[in-house]
Amino acid sequence: MDKWKLEPAHDLGLPLGKRLRSLQRESGLISTGFHLAWWTLVRGYLAAWHRLRIVGREHLPARPPFVLVGNHASHLDALVLASPLPWRLRDHVFPIAAGDVFFETPLATTFAAGLLNALPMWRKKCGPHDLHVLRERLVEEPAVYILFPEGGRSRDGKMMPFKPGLGMMVAGTSVPVIPCYLDGCFEALRPNERFPRPRKLTVHIGPPLRFDNAPNTRQGWTQITAEIEAAVKSLAPSEDKPVVS
Amino acid sequence: MNSATRERLFGFHHAFDHPVTLAVTIGLAAILLVVPLVLFVLARLGRIEGAQRQELWRRYYSWLVMVPLLLGPILAGAAWTILGIGVLSLFCYREYARATGLFREKLISLVVVIGIVAVTLTVLDHWYGLFVALTPYTVGLIACAALLRDEPQGYIQRVALGILGFVLFGSCFGHLAYLANDASYRPCLVLVLVSVELNDVFAFLSGKTLGKRKLAPKTSPNKTLGGALGALVLTTLLVAGLGHYVFQGTALARPEHLFVLGVLISLVGQFGDLMLSAIKRDLGIKDMGMTIPGHGGLLDRFDSIILVSPLVFHYINYFVGVGLGQTPRIFSGG
Repeated sequence: MDKWKLEPAHDLGLPLGKRLRSLQRESGLISTGFHLAWWTLVRGYLAAWHRLRIVGREHLPARPPFVLVGNHASHLDALVLASPLPWRLRDHVFPIAAGDVFFETPLATTFAAGLLNALPMWRKKCGPHDLHVLRERLVEEPAVYILFPEGGRSRDGKMMPFKPGLGMMVAGTSVPVIPCYLDGCFEALRPNERFPRPRKLTVHIGPPLRFDNAPNTRQGWTQITAEIEAAVKSLAPSEDKPVVS
Repeated sequence: MNSATRERLFGFHHAFDHPVTLAVTIGLAAILLVVPLVLFVLARLGRIEGAQRQELWRRYYSWLVMVPLLLGPILAGAAWTILGIGVLSLFCYREYARATGLFREKLISLVVVIGIVAVTLTVLDHWYGLFVALTPYTVGLIACAALLRDEPQGYIQRVALGILGFVLFGSCFGHLAYLANDASYRPCLVLVLVSVELNDVFAFLSGKTLGKRKLAPKTSPNKTLGGALGALVLTTLLVAGLGHYVFQGTALARPEHLFVLGVLISLVGQFGDLMLSAIKRDLGIKDMGMTIPGHGGLLDRFDSIILVSPLVFHYINYFVGVGLGQTPRIFSGG
């Protein structure tokens, strides 16, 4: 007879603070309840205040793992990118968020982990180990990551060059990367503003890219990143000229 | 709700009516006062040092919090006792679900949690019929809920883990809570809790002094046969002694019945301890959690009481009856 597959929670035995910051964090019944409530509110808000439109929904894979990648211009971006995803994936969708912004204080951490279901990426001290953990989890769980490879919000609405960490996560795996272009987020919530304006938002979802054969080396990562960057840029509507503030 | 029921559920004026309740409360308070002095003196004399001293203090602080948390609701009223046990069951289930991985099955977990809440409310209502029905009902509901995903692979494991979780933390703990439906529930619950907890202490102490042969080295390497036998003797004496006062004037007050009760509590308590050890070994983890500093998870502390609860309940129910003369179905009417 086969042995049973008993797998304790990967974040078992961690004190609460560490658990919330852990890349191995797993949701229980209570967190799932919070996620459902939060995403219901967010979807309602995006539909009512921003009349969110989703173009190219058919490009989303039917099941995880996959990575959604987009341009980053405002704090609305992760919410917008998560909204086309089906409910049943809710516990397995992880926005990758800047640790130094979202996981520094207890209050921010509770919000980021408890409601957003975000995983921290420490921009200054993110080593290969963290990326390896993220890469393994993506395939094993399987999970969906929401990622902004610019490494920060654009301050002028123009896309910044992508960082190669994304390449390290997917090189040589069969995980599809879905390039997305978020249109209108910069105008809706400028970097120095607190409250979003009721601007129209559109997500353009592009066809998946795969990197099964890309070498898991520095060169491979750069190549992958460049390819994804080009794909995201190509999704930008041609008349869309970012406004310089 | 008549005044007798209200008095049982919320009345704390009669908390110390029974001498056993009073004696145990004073005894525990005295121990909690004396232990820090002893630790302090021992540390001064250099008998305990460094890591050991810290460990002992940590355990003491844990007990300092746990004793009021356990005793407080029992003294305050049956409603608080029942709700407190309900909350304890939920926390224990949470540890179990996270340790076994059952928490990933959200629907089954939800059914188990609903089952535990339903048991708690039914006990509070004093509705024995529904209390009995809830176990097979919840078991059936788990088996049905697990079908909804239409994925037969792993079905037995999912359902079995769910049922084990509900039976241990809903049903078994529910029996402990149900004892609070008796008019004189305080001394009875105090007897069960004190004897089960001391059973662990007796096993530890007699194991240290006369333990040689291992009891079950693969399951729990630190337990010895000497410890088990020592606990058996001491706990039986304790239960028979306290029970003589608790059950005075009832059919259970005869020495042979009290003797059997003591043996059952000690044996089954130790089996409960071993059960949790086996579960942890099977999962390959050391502690179920880290809720209680110095003890591990809640389950590491309350493992012994799980299997004892239904046993004691039905033993008392057979000889004395539980909740006789108390209004049934307080809230649901009928």
